[in-house]
Amino acid sequence: MLGDRTISAAGRGTLFAWRELGGMTILAGQVLRALLPPRMDAPELLRNMYRMGNRSLPIIALTAFFVGGIMVIQAGVLVKQLNAAGLVGWGAGYAIFREVGPMLIALMFSGRVGSNNTAELATMTVTEQLDGLRALAIDPIPYLVVPRVVAMTVCLLCLTVLGNLIALYGGAFFAMVLLDLEFSTLYYSLVDNIHWLDFVHGAVKAAVFGASIAMTSCYFGISVRGGAVGVGKAVNAAVVAAAISIVMLDFLLTAVLP
Amino acid sequence: MRDVDVSFDGSPVLRSLSLSLERGGRLGILGPAAGGKSVLLKLLVGLVAPDDGAVHILGTDISRGKEKTLMRVRRDVGMLFQNYALFDFMTVGENVAFPLARLGETEEGEIAERVSLRLRAVGLAGSETKMPSELSGGMKKRVGIARATIARPALLLYDEPTAGLDPVTTSKMYELIAADQAETGCTVLAVSSDVGALCGFSTELALMHEGRIRYRGPSEAIGDSNDALVRQFVSGKDEGPL
Amino acid sequence: MSLTTHIEALGSKAAGAGRAGSRLAIIAAKSMSGVFARDSPKGEVARQMYIVGNKSVLFIAITMGFLGMVMVIQSGGQINRVTGDLSQLGPQFLKLFIQEFAPTITALMLATRVGAGIAAEVGSMKVTEQIDALRLSGITPTSYLIAPRLIACLFMGFVLTVIAIVIAFSAGGVSAWGVFGLNPTVFFDSSMVRSYDIAIGSIKTICYSTAIPIISGYCGLEARGGSEGVGTATTSAVIGSSFAVLLLDFIISGIGLTIFGGGV
Repeated sequence: MLGDRTISAAGRGTLFAWRELGGMTILAGQVLRALLPPRMDAPELLRNMYRMGNRSLPIIALTAFFVGGIMVIQAGVLVKQLNAAGLVGWGAGYAIFREVGPMLIALMFSGRVGSNNTAELATMTVTEQLDGLRALAIDPIPYLVVPRVVAMTVCLLCLTVLGNLIALYGGAFFAMVLLDLEFSTLYYSLVDNIHWLDFVHGAVKAAVFGASIAMTSCYFGISVRGGAVGVGKAVNAAVVAAAISIVMLDFLLTAVLP
Repeated sequence: MRDVDVSFDGSPVLRSLSLSLERGGRLGILGPAAGGKSVLLKLLVGLVAPDDGAVHILGTDISRGKEKTLMRVRRDVGMLFQNYALFDFMTVGENVAFPLARLGETEEGEIAERVSLRLRAVGLAGSETKMPSELSGGMKKRVGIARATIARPALLLYDEPTAGLDPVTTSKMYELIAADQAETGCTVLAVSSDVGALCGFSTELALMHEGRIRYRGPSEAIGDSNDALVRQFVSGKDEGPL
Repeated sequence: MSLTTHIEALGSKAAGAGRAGSRLAIIAAKSMSGVFARDSPKGEVARQMYIVGNKSVLFIAITMGFLGMVMVIQSGGQINRVTGDLSQLGPQFLKLFIQEFAPTITALMLATRVGAGIAAEVGSMKVTEQIDALRLSGITPTSYLIAPRLIACLFMGFVLTVIAIVIAFSAGGVSAWGVFGLNPTVFFDSSMVRSYDIAIGSIKTICYSTAIPIISGYCGLEARGGSEGVGTATTSAVIGSSFAVLLLDFIISGIGLTIFGGGV
């Protein structure tokens, strides 16, 4: 029966989702416990921050630049419709700060850093390097996972703040080129209408997204099973889970934050 | 086959390497890891293009090969890859039948019969419907051999046919290759780092090191070579030029 | 480092990028011609459609549902602050989703889900020499492997984008009703949608669904060296196709605005 099969597949899917969610929660608990008081490998933290932050800066900057352009083009349609040039800076800035900036940068960050991180941890797991650490009496959670979680959270926050700025400049650039708007029009439209809370709203989102990307990518990395094929599956599962959690958390935070 | 002349000037993988092989011969190529052995095999079927030099295979020049010439030559070549390269989205039977279907064989019954004969010959009768992931390493190698030989190619290339196998399976593997050659009279080129087994199998041996041929001659005489490096590799001693 | 070494490094990087670009172009051309060669195994297109479509539909539904709600809450709050007239919320929302958010966000999700899958699959075939074995049997890997994925992505990209629009619009309508008490009959109004919006949305979908499998397939075919190589290929596929989606979005929207005046 198709109906039976669909239902049982849905049930299996639900169970699977809950199991992974439970596993991630346990891992999050372990990470939090390791952070109180903070004890982690400092060189490992710096190395991770350098790798994750520096290396993803070019792609994030490019993304942000074009996202600014896209937002301005969308706002430009409204400008032509309503003849309201004064709204472009505000509309694009508001969207970039609160929604589009944090979310798209987080999605790119997840693709670049999150998937890399999963692949790395998963390879370490299937080649028994994690067991090797345990055999040397080193707990892999504070040693490997915690620095990565902290590094990803900090890096995504910084990258988003920077990316928002680049997106605004990109937006201004394309508004001047494509819509023939004055820079001052854009500037005052933005400064007069944007509240500092809009900026904080996006920054908080970025930090939470960073932590959630870190949790999903580390979890799927260390819970991998089944050789090289398993590594590929873990990476795939991690980016999908990260994307879902980004969108869901975005909704929750939009509702909760001012 | 005449004049397999290969040179790779200035390339770190193969350095001005020349090699020729008689039709119907059985040549084994030995050498330490990363000596360019696999590259040599891939060169022979145009999977790697030479920077310089010429590759003639079965009387055709493939070094400046157009895709069409390559495709024609490859029909007469079978190859066992180092990692078996079984298509993991196909069953064992489909894997073995693959070269046949590609050569334009369409008669389903004929294909099925030849596949089951081939699988029986490699000692895996009746495993047509299994997936490659269900097989052990040795079984995968045997499926790979079945796939390489099913179209009765004139030249067979074996890349590490016995790496990671136990001694008993190793000798079985070479028996299988030899039996197959006796049946079809094809030319065999095997690459391996397993000295003993390859010595027993091939009529002629060559040793490759850092992209060059250091020794070429009959299998029995390799231990008496004047080259200290060759002697060290064959005897497996610790001290020496290697 | 001296200036000349910097310049040399930059030059070799540029040359490398040029070579990679030409290889990508060759693979793109071969895959597209492979679509007509019908060289792929029987049932492969259907299998790929199942992988692309069925296995992504839930993912797309969840993300687009939440996105629809967020967009309505954010923009509704702003409109309430300025004019308080929410009657245009639904029609403008639908217009914006058809020509911008639904195609682009769906494509970004497909780039993660499907792009990573294609790169991982093709990449592991590459490092285990299965690609070489295919070529040895006289098969062009592009038309055998990438073309069916391209067809599947083109078809499923459309279907998923339509699903995305429906789900986001419904979720948006429900939250507009729940949060702002907006009457659903006011929200669910398609009078603002012009054929221009549908055309732009369709063009975007076609371009994205072409770019994702080709870029991911290219990353897979370029994979080198064991499972680590597959991991690198997967990452660069996700990043490459996501970035391509955003760049195409910018280009197509830009052309739409400057040449066709944004359809106004």
